[in-house]
Amino acid sequence: MRWFRFAALILTVTILQKGVLARWDNKPDLLLIALVFSATYLNTSDAIISSFIIGFAADLVGSPIPMGPHMISFGVFGTLLAYLNRVIAIRRLPYQALAIFVMGILAGVLTHVLAGESLSRSMFAVVLVTSLYSGFVGPFLVAPSAWWIGIRTGRLRRR
Amino acid sequence: MKARKQTKVSRRMLFTWFMLTGLILLFAPHDFTGKFQLAFVHIFRWPLSIGGNVALTARTPPSVEGAKQRSEAQYRNYVENLKQTLDEQTRKLEKLSGLYNTFVWEGADFALADVIIKTIDGSRNEMTINCRKTDGLMKGQYVLGDESVIGTISEVFPQIAKADVKLVTDSTSWIPVEVAGIKTIMTGSGNNAAKIVALKKEVKVEEKVFALKNLKEGGFLDAPIIVGKVVRCERNTQMASVWDLTVAPVCDIKSLEDVAVIIINPPK
Repeated sequence: MRWFRFAALILTVTILQKGVLARWDNKPDLLLIALVFSATYLNTSDAIISSFIIGFAADLVGSPIPMGPHMISFGVFGTLLAYLNRVIAIRRLPYQALAIFVMGILAGVLTHVLAGESLSRSMFAVVLVTSLYSGFVGPFLVAPSAWWIGIRTGRLRRR
Repeated sequence: MKARKQTKVSRRMLFTWFMLTGLILLFAPHDFTGKFQLAFVHIFRWPLSIGGNVALTARTPPSVEGAKQRSEAQYRNYVENLKQTLDEQTRKLEKLSGLYNTFVWEGADFALADVIIKTIDGSRNEMTINCRKTDGLMKGQYVLGDESVIGTISEVFPQIAKADVKLVTDSTSWIPVEVAGIKTIMTGSGNNAAKIVALKKEVKVEEKVFALKNLKEGGFLDAPIIVGKVVRCERNTQMASVWDLTVAPVCDIKSLEDVAVIIINPPK
């Protein structure tokens, strides 16, 4: 695992999420896409580490939500997806889009619950729209991310 | 050849350690953990600000050409729109002449601008303004809203006649101020509030805070201008002998539609 390249990728994604994408009301969550990417393409140990790191990055730019909720929710669901990926390999684009969508909803709801927010309709709407956008955009970002980190996306490995 | 020593950590241990870290962050005081978020925004403020000019706005003035060909109803609407534009320009002219008539602004010029985008969300408090006149507009110049200082110019885009304004409540903003006769620095704390830390004397709530000139950063003021008022004064948590103030802007920034930028030594 090329950790330096991975760190550069996460830093870029975090800055894009907080900078350019912060201007739009409805936007994909690039860190969520990175989470699903790492959970499906890295080995399980690396996936656990990267899930928590991505969660920490999401916390850094998650204001006004305090630090912690993203790290826990991304870490828990990233780890679960990494273990699930050992049994069912998620490689095809539609399945990746579905995985991002489901992960977005699960991680989003847990994040808001941990942050002490009430489960309102508007909160669900935001989580749903973000997951939907991420699901659409995510699969197209897999190939450039894999190229940058140096992973062959075609190779099927179960670790 | 020396064998590389590799430490193996089980996945369960990895997960436990990271979960513990997450829980510590979650239950740590938010004042403390919030500093991580502020530090990130502060360190990467330049790349984060790049997205500022991405927002698209479509503000095209009504075209005179082709008005004759329009139907009567359309033509009437066009005239009504022109009247409204004239009223708006007259209102702005009156506002400008009011500013020029204030004696402290002799030698200074003002650029009136419409507010296009306001971002008052968490630590990020900024706005994009549309200036008809960008001559002399520079980073650091003070921006007035409802006769009070609301922020400073953070970026100028002369090609598209726009500028970004960093509000005094933005987490990366700092300006010299005077409160209760003490000169100090006020920093933004996000969420439409600012703070003054470690003040050597207790200050009453509702005490007025005035912005001072900041020539180093390009902020010209001939006389102190009100920026906000103290809404909370409490002892510093680390040093009991000093006080921390929370300051709220005196201007309702959220409902602001136009602002004025103070330009010193305007180009002739």
